[in-house]
Amino acid sequence: MANLTEDPVLEINRIKVKEEDTNLAIDNKVVVREEGQGERDMSPPGGNSIHRSGSRPQLDLSKAAIEGNFEEKDPIILLPNQSDDISHLAVDLGGSLIKLVYVSRHEDRSSNDKRKKTLKERLGISNGSRRSYPILGGRLHFVKFETNKINECLDFISSKQLHRGGMDSRWDSELPANNNAVIKATGGGAYKFADLFKERLGVSLDKEDEMDCLVAGANFLLKAIRHEAFTHMEGQKEFVQIDHNDLFPYLLVNIGSGVSMIKVDGDGKFQRVSGTNVGGGTYWGLGRLLTKCKSFDELLELSQRGDNRTIDMLVGDIYGGMDYSKIGLSASTIASSFGKAISENKELEDYRPEDISLSLLRMISYNIGQISYLNALRFGLKRIFFGGFFIRGHAYTMDTISFAVQFWSKGEAQAMFLRHEGFLGALGAFMSYEKHGLDDLMVHQLVERFPMGAPYTGGKIHGPPLGDLNEKISWMEKFVRKGNEITAPVPMAPTGTTGLGGFEVPSSKGETLRSDASALNIGVLHLVPTLEVFPLLADPKTYEPNTIDLADPSELEYWFTVLSEHLPDLVDKAVASEGGTEDAKRRGHAFARAFSAHLARLMEEPAAYGKLGLANLLELREECLREFHFVDAYRSIKQRENEASLAVLPDLLMELDSMSEETRLLTLIEGVLAANIFDWGSRACVDLYHKGTIIEIYRMSRNKMQRPWRVDDFDVFKERMFGSGDRKPPPHRRALLFVDNSGADIVLGMLPLARELLRRGTEVVLVANSLPALNDVTAMELPDIVAEAAKHCDILRRAAEAGGLLVDAMINTLDGSKENSSSVPLMVVENGCGSPCIDLRQVSSELAAAAKDADLIILEGMGRSLHTNYNARFKCDALKLAMVKNQRLAEKLIKGNIYDCVCRYEPAS
Amino acid sequence: MDLGEFQIPGNSDPNQKTSHLSLDIGGSLIKLVYFSTNDGDNDDELGSSGNESVGVSNGSRSYPVLKGRLHFSKFETRKINDCLDFIQTKRLHLGGCQRLGALPIEKTIIKATGGGAYKYADLFKEKLDICLDKEDEMDCLVAGANFLLKAVHQEAFTYLDGKKEFVQIDQNDLYPYLLVNIGSGVSMIKVEGDGKFERVSGTNVGGGTFWGLGRLLTKCKSFDELLELSQQGNNRVIDMLVGDIYGGTDYSKVGLSSTTIASSFGKAISDKKELQDYQPEDIARSLLRMISNNIGQIAYLNALRFGLKRIFFGGFFIRGHAYTMDTIAVGVDFWSKGEAKAMFLRHEGFLGALGAFMSYEKHGLDDLKVHRLMQKFPMSSLVGDKICSPLNGELNENESIECSVYAS
Repeated sequence: MANLTEDPVLEINRIKVKEEDTNLAIDNKVVVREEGQGERDMSPPGGNSIHRSGSRPQLDLSKAAIEGNFEEKDPIILLPNQSDDISHLAVDLGGSLIKLVYVSRHEDRSSNDKRKKTLKERLGISNGSRRSYPILGGRLHFVKFETNKINECLDFISSKQLHRGGMDSRWDSELPANNNAVIKATGGGAYKFADLFKERLGVSLDKEDEMDCLVAGANFLLKAIRHEAFTHMEGQKEFVQIDHNDLFPYLLVNIGSGVSMIKVDGDGKFQRVSGTNVGGGTYWGLGRLLTKCKSFDELLELSQRGDNRTIDMLVGDIYGGMDYSKIGLSASTIASSFGKAISENKELEDYRPEDISLSLLRMISYNIGQISYLNALRFGLKRIFFGGFFIRGHAYTMDTISFAVQFWSKGEAQAMFLRHEGFLGALGAFMSYEKHGLDDLMVHQLVERFPMGAPYTGGKIHGPPLGDLNEKISWMEKFVRKGNEITAPVPMAPTGTTGLGGFEVPSSKGETLRSDASALNIGVLHLVPTLEVFPLLADPKTYEPNTIDLADPSELEYWFTVLSEHLPDLVDKAVASEGGTEDAKRRGHAFARAFSAHLARLMEEPAAYGKLGLANLLELREECLREFHFVDAYRSIKQRENEASLAVLPDLLMELDSMSEETRLLTLIEGVLAANIFDWGSRACVDLYHKGTIIEIYRMSRNKMQRPWRVDDFDVFKERMFGSGDRKPPPHRRALLFVDNSGADIVLGMLPLARELLRRGTEVVLVANSLPALNDVTAMELPDIVAEAAKHCDILRRAAEAGGLLVDAMINTLDGSKENSSSVPLMVVENGCGSPCIDLRQVSSELAAAAKDADLIILEGMGRSLHTNYNARFKCDALKLAMVKNQRLAEKLIKGNIYDCVCRYEPAS
Repeated sequence: MDLGEFQIPGNSDPNQKTSHLSLDIGGSLIKLVYFSTNDGDNDDELGSSGNESVGVSNGSRSYPVLKGRLHFSKFETRKINDCLDFIQTKRLHLGGCQRLGALPIEKTIIKATGGGAYKYADLFKEKLDICLDKEDEMDCLVAGANFLLKAVHQEAFTYLDGKKEFVQIDQNDLYPYLLVNIGSGVSMIKVEGDGKFERVSGTNVGGGTFWGLGRLLTKCKSFDELLELSQQGNNRVIDMLVGDIYGGTDYSKVGLSSTTIASSFGKAISDKKELQDYQPEDIARSLLRMISNNIGQIAYLNALRFGLKRIFFGGFFIRGHAYTMDTIAVGVDFWSKGEAKAMFLRHEGFLGALGAFMSYEKHGLDDLKVHRLMQKFPMSSLVGDKICSPLNGELNENESIECSVYAS
């Protein structure tokens, strides 16, 4: 990429883009428990204990350690894979696939952390009473098996003890094996396989009505998952955000063996209004007879290489190559499916199975699209959602259906598809448990994560479940070759030879289309009831966190390149952070493979994981690191930088205190911008370290701050702070400071600014990451940093005491108690995420609580104020501060250059 | 049965030759409509002596009129040479009144419709030295249907449970209606009056699909053979019925009986049986039901959309085939809950060709309805029953409509 070669610094800067992340994949936990080896990997470094907040999916490592201890006392708990409190499992036993939906529970461990306690008192959060959560946090897993491999499915259930859900899973010795364990099931196999389940697992299947399940599943997905639905036209997916208040009525078209068309008016309110007997069974049945394919997927695969023009009679065939334009039919419109097969010269064996399959696929898809549209029209429904096993994320199928709906409705109606379409029934069955706990879930309480296997399997399980980290790494190694295959798309016939008529097709993006290119990956759905929408967003409905839209292919390619190039370096850091052991190296390689596979998958199919923004991509990387037990790759770097910065802080504070109030404010803002250059990963920064001390670099950088900055609202901000003329505006009541990096950024930039606000009588809440992401400072680390800084500064000390931070950091305050009341507090809250960016629709409940009284927000750093939230509007005053350390972003966003600064101030809207 | 005696005025302009042949060249079949004089045998050359000319006063003008018959013939499109030979031997292309040996020097023009009118224009030119004057397919279909529905007594009938019932259409209450023409593909046309219509929908699953898929699956040699087979088949062998899924019980919650087809060909997914293990009869039956049912459903949904109470099905797919009509009718009845009625036309295959015939400037057929209304030539005057097979309502190859045309 041009930028890279032009500006070597750039490379580094890009790295700084950090990722959000939060959760550890479930399997990690399993590993630890099983082998008892995990503690070593996870034990927090240097006694810097990692606090878990209960408000967000946890790094499970700590728990693992604890349970490691428990293991000795209570070996019974150690059934393999029994680490999760499985509560429920539901199955959809279809003719070709078995779909499982199950929830693994995660205890909401309240932290004993004193900081939190104080904070909670201050913010008025009382754990249970402020709000009672309908459910505990948990994870919703979506897994599928081929029906003819039902034994693998049974093994999976058995090894994960999924069927013991909801009961005390520890020890059922008193109960006979065939106690009344009941699993909700739907699909035809619920009848067929009932005995097998009874025999193998000792559970009864409780059969739920198929339609009920479908509708319940669809309603849940459409309401609870933000970008569940998408349109698919000419190979392009576009995710659609459905307004939950405007969801009903809609037409749900479930394409199974036959097709049901259901008008859905609300939860549990629906009517089957139509259907057709020409459905998936017809495609597969006729296809089998005509092509001798052995499986549905094989038949679909064949269609990819087909040319239906050899079999279908097109308008052009009838009109001698001319359009019948008078009625709007182009020459390539299919006049009659299989119409050319009437020719006497050719028999069945003379036709290519590929062509037959495509012709059949288009005939059936188009027909379904048309009948669906006619029914939607009849009931005045604008939205048609298609689901069922026939679709399988298959691009031609979706394109053909979409085309039909669009063609006949003249663009009035829209065909939409669901990412979880294969799981509607299983989800619905799950929801039929009396207390499934999903009802009350809100969209902001769900976070979808893609575990390492996602790029390979797309959620289909082959073989036994992976037990531990070691198995996972082996699995990664084993699939490396597979991974290479995956990155190289299967060559396809070039566009234009694939037929396509009126129901015209799909030149899918690029010249090639692989069969599974459209198959969407389904991640694990983390249910985090403590997440909330940031209450100060001016308009949560229209809020879009991502500034950069990765739907733009050049943007996508750019960021993929950046991330790929940075990968080796990141692996080195990560391995070093774990002591550089052989084990760490092995995990490092596995991480690199897994993350590369994610990237390759996304490069090939950007929509594979749903709507993709830069923030999601960055978060994915952090998640992936955690999945391989890299807790904090930048741990030592952060520590070093903090120490170095803290050492020069007193000098800086002294310098600041010698200035007039107004000069000081400008210097402080300059300081924040200047210190934001200390982005880890910036090679310029690393070089500078060799040349001088941190304070020198900081001063140099600050001196370079030439106003006006590229975006410069400082004067407006200053007026808000000091007023103009005689008018003295009151100070802000409470400021939320979203902090960025460790080291100089926090110590020399944001802390002094916080101090100034405190001095003016404004309460300050430092908002930091819940989990590590690059060198971002975390909420866990902040109390120590503040405590250290407070040693040299009374203002900070008193405020920190008032905010309960010093107690937390184990600082002995000799005379603190009396003065506490005299200072406004300095507090720390976690933001609920582990990414360098922040999606303000999903923040921790403590941040949401802290925001209630806030009237100023300061967002600092590229990740939180540029990559995300640059265009966000707030109900209160907002200041966005960042140095742009990426040429491309600088050009794109502010039409400037690398190292330009942004000081964007927006008064309350 | 329902042959009318028509009087068709001839063309008085001696310079303009009115051809008394028109063609509808479809994707699978070629349909011919031609006129022959009353006492001439079909094998006779047209326009041979002995025609009695009757002057009919028609408004201010009076034309010589030839009494005769309209004939309907069809050929498979792939056997177009047979068709050309037929035209040649019967000298149909020479126009209604050409005297033997008086070949015209000027080009002979024949009205034609259907896609083949474009595709085979050169062939007609080369073989018969005639120009095909292309008429729009929809125009022709609608003109043909309107003519038949207004002029021919007992043209339309319903078909349900094996019972055929003729419907008397009140000419004043004919419009609007939905005309579904099932050829290779299917066109659905909303007709609001003479020349007033719109193609509102269609489907690519039509007669061509039946015959094409049927050929591949059964090795039948002809469309009719395939239809014949389907008469003896049992679709339950191949189709997945609601009862197959729900263990023999109805899915009554959503109003589906156990015998409803849940998925056409859905049982063929079983890996125990290959194509050769199924009876061709059963396959033909399944296919026929799938396609008929589908057309019936889409037609009904379109009729509903435009508030049309009558749906007329025409086109060569039907061929008066009882089971086809039955399935379509059942489809419409099922989806409309009895509200809408599927109706069929006796001359269903010839709508296009008839329409093309009517597009001759002076074909005289327009006036026929006038005659009929005046009951000068009562439709009920029967000419024997050599024409129709009463069992299935199929129009016999040899059927003709008695009429007259203007002599030129």
